[in-house]
Amino acid sequence: MKKIALKVTSASKVYAKEKLDMLEEKRLVPNMMTRRRLTRNAKVMLYLGDQCQFTTGKIVYGSCYSELEETARIANSVLNKELPSPISFQNSVYNTAPSYFSLIHKNKEEIITVSSGMQTSIATLKTAALQALVSGEKVFCVAIECINIKNIEEINRCTEYLEAGAAIVIEVIKETEHTKEIENSKTHGVIDSLQELMSVVTMFENGLDEILIEL
Amino acid sequence: MNAYINNYELLCNAGNTQELMQAVYAKESAIVVDTTYLKDATAGLGKMSYDTIFTAMKEVTQKVLKSSNLENFHNTLLILGSSVGGMQECEEIFYAQSSFKNIDANRYSMNALSDYLLETFKFCNARALSTACTSSANALVLAKRLIDVEAYDNILVMGVDGLCYSTVLGFYSLSVLSNKQCTPFDANRNGMNVAEAVAALLIQNEKQSTSVELKGVGASSDAYHMTNPDPTASGAIASMKNAIEDADLSIEDIDYINAHGTATIANDKVESLALETLFSNKTYISSTKAITGHTLGAAGAVEAIVSCEVIKQSLVPPQTGLETLDNTHINVPLVPIEMRVKNVLSNSFAFGGNNTSLVFGV
Repeated sequence: MKKIALKVTSASKVYAKEKLDMLEEKRLVPNMMTRRRLTRNAKVMLYLGDQCQFTTGKIVYGSCYSELEETARIANSVLNKELPSPISFQNSVYNTAPSYFSLIHKNKEEIITVSSGMQTSIATLKTAALQALVSGEKVFCVAIECINIKNIEEINRCTEYLEAGAAIVIEVIKETEHTKEIENSKTHGVIDSLQELMSVVTMFENGLDEILIEL
Repeated sequence: MNAYINNYELLCNAGNTQELMQAVYAKESAIVVDTTYLKDATAGLGKMSYDTIFTAMKEVTQKVLKSSNLENFHNTLLILGSSVGGMQECEEIFYAQSSFKNIDANRYSMNALSDYLLETFKFCNARALSTACTSSANALVLAKRLIDVEAYDNILVMGVDGLCYSTVLGFYSLSVLSNKQCTPFDANRNGMNVAEAVAALLIQNEKQSTSVELKGVGASSDAYHMTNPDPTASGAIASMKNAIEDADLSIEDIDYINAHGTATIANDKVESLALETLFSNKTYISSTKAITGHTLGAAGAVEAIVSCEVIKQSLVPPQTGLETLDNTHINVPLVPIEMRVKNVLSNSFAFGGNNTSLVFGV
């Protein structure tokens, strides 16, 4: 299997039991009309992008459940024999968050959205590595889960944190003596779909900024 | 390494690959006017005959394996593109019980489909993508790039989406759902048909006598609006240019374009502008969504198979349902055109301004 070496140039992670409350939406999205339409995933992504100082370039976004809140709204509308809101429908697609990110930053580069269950963040990392290798450019790799919806307790058996995300900016480098495999440093309570990317952010925070990844 | 499409099969409202192509050339739309999804209105939908989406996927995948040079998929990566994943089954439970309690979270998202195939066919690994209506087109983008960099020898790309209340009612709420068979590029078009399909393509690094090469891939983002395309068509133009450049071809090398062509007012207007800008009125263009409807996340894979068939049959598909061409500066044939087709461009565009173009050729 082909492995490549990546340098992580910036990284950030966030998680909250119920709701992330430091996302600085007003600073990041001054236009009220746009801000009001953003989903939770989009707000978290804009915050992580700001923390990583990334605005334009290729994006690989991962989420197992993505826009669960909008999907639940649509399902409840159908159940109540009402028409879904057009805004909920347009915001229910899995690429909503990176699309708002690109719209706000006028970023016309490629977006790929990965949703591979509990393997989402490793699949997102592999895809971001491929995009960085093929383009020779820096790539924003981000994975987010926001599942704080009404009655989530009926179905949630996988996380203590209902909102969480991790992001890195990567570029391809030649393998050096400092290049490491991704460490298995599980962030307790965070959903498994984010764990590998969380581990890479933790490695970066500990001064390990070169990783090996299998495509 | 070059990426060759060596085997493929699909299931859609018109049937399998052979039946679909017969319908395409005979201009026989397989769209039905449905009265079950909407309370006070009809909807033109593309419905296929199947038991569950899982059995449909298994059947199509088995056919591709049987026709391939592989004994199994143990050395093959699966990349699946879908926009609704396991939603069909979860919707059914939720509407019956008005509760999430009995929904298995592992069977809700895109991985519900890829995990089933991974377990059934023992692929070496699996990934699922979801960029709305470009999902399986983007799966093909990744497949080509992974073969290019010699990461894998065999990749099975699947495009899968089943009909759901969420999508049918969602498109209806956006006022883009047609109440009859859709008519792409027609001046009097009144919207799209939501549809379902399962499509699979085996991409390999070795050329066979019947191979069609996936020569180029391109993508872009509009960065304009969540559902409306950029009226200047800059995103659509960029994705097509990127794909043609990636294929190391020029505009003149493209013989036929399988358009995204959903038959919504906005898409067809902007796509026509993009096509007019790049190709003037020389290259043949049609949308086979007039036959299949819009199979959402499966559309890229379905239309990749159509593109391969057009090349193999040396026959350009006519535009079904067209009476009055809206943009007269593009070349939309009304009858099948017999000609040597060397290169086909296929477009897929999605919510969020996500644009993907693919070039197939021999």
